[in-house]
Amino acid sequence: MELPYNSKPRPDTGLYNGKVGIWLFLASEIMLFGGLFSAYLLLRVGADDGNWSMGLMTKWVGAFNTFILIASSATVVLAWVCLKLKDWAGFRFWKWWTVGFAATFLIVKWGYEWPAKFTHYDITFTSNQQAEKVFADVFDKGSYNDCEEDHRKIWNERYDADGENKDIPEGKKAWGKVDIKDKPLDGHVVGYYTENEQGERQHHKVEAAFGISFWSHAFAWRYDARNTVLGITDTFSEKGIVAVEIAPTHGVWDAHPEEEASAANRRYAEADNDTGHDGHAGHGHHKAITIETSQISRLSSYEPAHSTFFAVYYTLTGLHALHVFGGILVMLYHLLPISQRVYESDPERFTNRIEITGLFWHFVDLVWIFLFPILYLL
Amino acid sequence: METTTQSDVSHEDHHDAHEDHGHGNQHFLTKYVFSSDHKVIGIQYGVTSLLFLLIGFLLIMCMRWQLAKPGEPIPIAGALLEHVYANNNSGEPVFKDGVMSADGYNQFGVMHGTIMVFLAVVPLGFAAFGNYVVPLQIGAPDMCFPRVNMASYWCFFAGCVVMTVSFFIPGGAAAAGWTAYSPLATLIPTDGQSYWLIGMVLLITSSLLGAVNFIATIIQMRAPGMTWFRMPFFVWAQFVTAFLLLLAFPPLEAAGIMQLMDRVCDTSFFLPSGVFGAGSTTMAVSGGGNPLLWQHLFWFLGHPEVYVLILPAIGMVGEILSNSARRPLWGYKLMIGAVLVLGFLSFIVWAHHMYLTGMSGKVATFFQTTTMIISIPSVILLTCLFITLWKGSIRFTTASLFALAFLPMFGIGGLTGLPLGLSFADLHLHDSYYVIAHFHYVVAPGSIFALFAGIYFWYPKMTGRKMNEYWGRVHFWGSLIFMNIIFMPMFIQGFAGMSRRMSDGGATYSLLQNPDVTSGALSELIMKLNDYISMGAFGMALIQIPFIVNFFYSIQNGEKVSSDNPHEATTLDWQTPTPPPHGNFLEEPKVYGAPYEYSVPGANKDYLPQTEPNRPNTA
Amino acid sequence: MSDEHDAEWYEKKFRPMIYLVAGILLVGTVITYVADVLGIAEKWGFRNAIIFALGVATVKASAVIYIFMHLKWDINLKTISLTMACAIIFLIGMMWLTVGSEIQDEGGIDGKPGGTETTWKHGKPSKPKALKAGDS
Repeated sequence: MELPYNSKPRPDTGLYNGKVGIWLFLASEIMLFGGLFSAYLLLRVGADDGNWSMGLMTKWVGAFNTFILIASSATVVLAWVCLKLKDWAGFRFWKWWTVGFAATFLIVKWGYEWPAKFTHYDITFTSNQQAEKVFADVFDKGSYNDCEEDHRKIWNERYDADGENKDIPEGKKAWGKVDIKDKPLDGHVVGYYTENEQGERQHHKVEAAFGISFWSHAFAWRYDARNTVLGITDTFSEKGIVAVEIAPTHGVWDAHPEEEASAANRRYAEADNDTGHDGHAGHGHHKAITIETSQISRLSSYEPAHSTFFAVYYTLTGLHALHVFGGILVMLYHLLPISQRVYESDPERFTNRIEITGLFWHFVDLVWIFLFPILYLL
Repeated sequence: METTTQSDVSHEDHHDAHEDHGHGNQHFLTKYVFSSDHKVIGIQYGVTSLLFLLIGFLLIMCMRWQLAKPGEPIPIAGALLEHVYANNNSGEPVFKDGVMSADGYNQFGVMHGTIMVFLAVVPLGFAAFGNYVVPLQIGAPDMCFPRVNMASYWCFFAGCVVMTVSFFIPGGAAAAGWTAYSPLATLIPTDGQSYWLIGMVLLITSSLLGAVNFIATIIQMRAPGMTWFRMPFFVWAQFVTAFLLLLAFPPLEAAGIMQLMDRVCDTSFFLPSGVFGAGSTTMAVSGGGNPLLWQHLFWFLGHPEVYVLILPAIGMVGEILSNSARRPLWGYKLMIGAVLVLGFLSFIVWAHHMYLTGMSGKVATFFQTTTMIISIPSVILLTCLFITLWKGSIRFTTASLFALAFLPMFGIGGLTGLPLGLSFADLHLHDSYYVIAHFHYVVAPGSIFALFAGIYFWYPKMTGRKMNEYWGRVHFWGSLIFMNIIFMPMFIQGFAGMSRRMSDGGATYSLLQNPDVTSGALSELIMKLNDYISMGAFGMALIQIPFIVNFFYSIQNGEKVSSDNPHEATTLDWQTPTPPPHGNFLEEPKVYGAPYEYSVPGANKDYLPQTEPNRPNTA
Repeated sequence: MSDEHDAEWYEKKFRPMIYLVAGILLVGTVITYVADVLGIAEKWGFRNAIIFALGVATVKASAVIYIFMHLKWDINLKTISLTMACAIIFLIGMMWLTVGSEIQDEGGIDGKPGGTETTWKHGKPSKPKALKAGDS
């Protein structure tokens, strides 16, 4: 049974069926992402001081992915134009480019961006005294007072990009409102200690996550002091961890800015050498420190549970990435030999399908255009 | 829009095509199970949703027993439930010795609401009747995207399976209210809540696919001559309903995903900082969320959802009343306008469900105002339906009886909603039995009566046989009486301040338990009403038996219809063979007139089918 | 798009337009990124930074919708334009009313999100109590 207006537009509406369908679908998608954008807005406006941890994003990665997606948006429309011009080879050329870009986007997102966050930790402390000691140690200073300026600088980089903005009245800055113990130390977990019955400590090294050196170290571990009271099991209780060895990372905590250039070395410094218990990593400039479990209030990687910002980030980008993934599957289908047969038997209908896929793909691009500033920049 | 006659699509060979490669040699599975024919899908939806209507009803029967006789074992069902039902999280059976525990009551309450709304009434009214009737009424050979239609049903089916399975998992089904408010729904330990959320995401996906399909079908597949204002009112109602589903459901999908994230990935979308867990320890969560966000997103769906429940019902009632009164639908264009306004306004009234959340006075006033305004189109619809009856020579079939009963029942439900829409009155009535009575009047004797009417009305088209009229009347009068016995006393209970979520029917707060309390305790009369209501509910169950028997018996043994148009109706769905073949129409229908040309002066019959080219007055 | 264009139009007009729009989009991305690196939030204030970044995003989005999704030639089709209008109206309504009903502070989003000015606090209404629905 052949349905009317499958490939020819209906005269009074000027549209063929599929195009009506896709626009309706996109309207619904607007509301779906709109619901999440509303959530973003409401949660952000209501966020407590210093709880909107957006400064932790790697901006250039987001910018790169924006480039990729915009390029794919252009190639997908070029592919359609080729079909309009009856140029099958050109269609395949541009479509393959689109798939390539889309795949790159997903690889960057799921292969690099997310795992890099899952292996990157924030630690907060149970008391200000403990925190002062640890921070003084990290910054290689005698006391916390000596390193507070450094600490503040890093804090502002992370949470309060306009920390020096004169518009914000004195005393209202996030920095001043948060206790030292709640100002997190970030780094990779490179090792941990367990205790046997005799009370002897054993050191365990944590290798790169899943054996892939690119994904460094402990993957999405979690510890929250409140868990012990609530009786919830977490990574620490499963492994019986009594102390954890942290390598502060990404340079932001580094007390030696002149070595900033060797970022690549620093990232893997802990992995490729004995981090040692003396507190110094193999490369000598990066200090791994041991923190007792009892000193830790909360340890969390940059996973969804880290903070509300990351929850929104993962949900929005995850849902968006699923759309990208779905788009790739459909576009690959259009590159199969079976599609060529469809094209040869009914070119107009196939061209319409490509147009519909293109419309969906542009919408995916559109969502990202808004996601990039609100998740990475603002 | 411009009427056009298509030349590029020819359907003259349709009958032959149907014989050759249409349905004839299809395998049973592709013909009846994985079918893409809108009629088969409609019936699949219908059967599934009727089944869930029954399940939802059985759940409430158990709850009604518990409310009337708190702590006494449920007869028959109790023993069964004790053995098949899951244990709660502390390892105790939920139905110990056949007695419904508070856990069980909560779970059944959630699932009753969810099943009735999302698995029974919406799929029956929107998906089942919509699928079967809409393409027929606009003269289309099928839905616009048949395979999407099939996907929609199977998505729905998967959602049904997930919801059903959740009863039998350890911990039992969701128990945090059918509205699943956080933080309770996030922190409640049963996995049933996660199942509920996954089920909801599937159901929403299904209704999204369905809605796209309906709108596209109505826009694209109208037969030649079927202009927008020649479409039957039911099609208009479905059109607006589909838009509500299309645009209101996705925010709940977003909210569902977020709550799932909260439960599975330990995020804090809906958990504020400093939520207390066991004892006085704050929960081990990042915090910073907002529980009201859930309520906003839920009710952004939730209120349009009310109109999703009621609009197809009003559409059906319009069809049936016009047909049985042998009168054109009065104010046809006015009704269409009212439906459109209703659909539009339903998006900006949602927060009247949330007056008690502490929103600012300005916002509450805004939502009060829109809520009062939205009652106007509802009243217009009801009034038009009433006026349609005026001076009609009404044929009192079972279908028309149900449709007639819909009017006062929906009226009661609608008018009792007004006090709830005013924030000051809502202070007292919120979360009381008054609310239950109000929305059940809209949905149970309202929507469900209309659905019954629809079943009796379109049954001959679907099967070629009529349902038994005598037992139909027994079913109708019994249902009407028992419905009112059930829901009318709930208004009184609500005014007395009886809260809606008490698993013992308020026994703890009764005067019997608190003889010293001078005010606020529930009086003996109020408590006694529980008994009457439950008796009414059991009567209601009994009176459904004739319907169920009638329904199945008539498939094989009902009175055969003598023509394709037994109701002497004007719309296109009755101008097809009975039951309609694959592709629906033997030849492409051409539409010449308005949808409700009954008793037209000068015509030789008292009805003028839309396909009739010889029309005495071309209105 | 409705078939009013011939092959030549696609070749001569539409294709260069695609390259042009792609260029605009890429430039827009660069501008936003560079502006962020230069720290416009600190220089212009947070509010202006929001307006700037979302403004650029809106321009980009419009370019995509208008040219890539060829709405320029489809906008007169009522089906599409009405559907999109509805979706966008309801989206704005949802965002505005949801966020609006949860912000007690009349300051709105003037302050820096996450800062004290805009912190949403329950139980501390800034309005007179008598107007409040939730108080009992």
